[in-house]
Amino acid sequence: MASQILPLELIDRCIGSKIWVIMKSEREFTGTLLGFDDYVNIVLEDVIEYEATAQGVKKTKLAQTLLNGSNIAMLIPGSEGPDAS
Amino acid sequence: MDDSPRPPSDQSPPPPPPPAQFLKGIVGKRVIVRLTSGVDYRGSACVLGVFWMMLIDAWYRSTIEHVNGIVTNRYGDAFIRGNNVLYISAAEPM
Repeated sequence: MASQILPLELIDRCIGSKIWVIMKSEREFTGTLLGFDDYVNIVLEDVIEYEATAQGVKKTKLAQTLLNGSNIAMLIPGSEGPDAS
Repeated sequence: MDDSPRPPSDQSPPPPPPPAQFLKGIVGKRVIVRLTSGVDYRGSACVLGVFWMMLIDAWYRSTIEHVNGIVTNRYGDAFIRGNNVLYISAAEPM
């Protein structure tokens, strides 16, 4: 039987590499994953925040950032974010 | 039955998860706190509780509220309830 990988194990393997975080609202983040906890609160480094506004996508650069897990909808490991795809 | 004591290395507590380390590390540093509503607060972090409740002590004794990049208010010490927080970002090197 093929070995199973649990979802959070996959995220754990992604520590140190790029990750794309999509929030429940019109907001996305990319950055290097430094770690996370049981609530999937996430610590990122070299972050770009993408915020969809009426004027278009607003980008904000941030240093080390702690993201609240309760607003996260989806995680894409290894992705450079919306600009790369 | 194996009653042999565990080696001391097993008894040391596991390191706190990275978010807890981050919260410890930013105490006294300038931070940007963005709420889910999009309002920003800038100040220096003072005390961080279990549920992200944080006291923002001042950047020059004032917490500065920004809405769409425009300063809308200046407070002294302010206490932000953690459930409203979208992220906490370090505004100076950790």
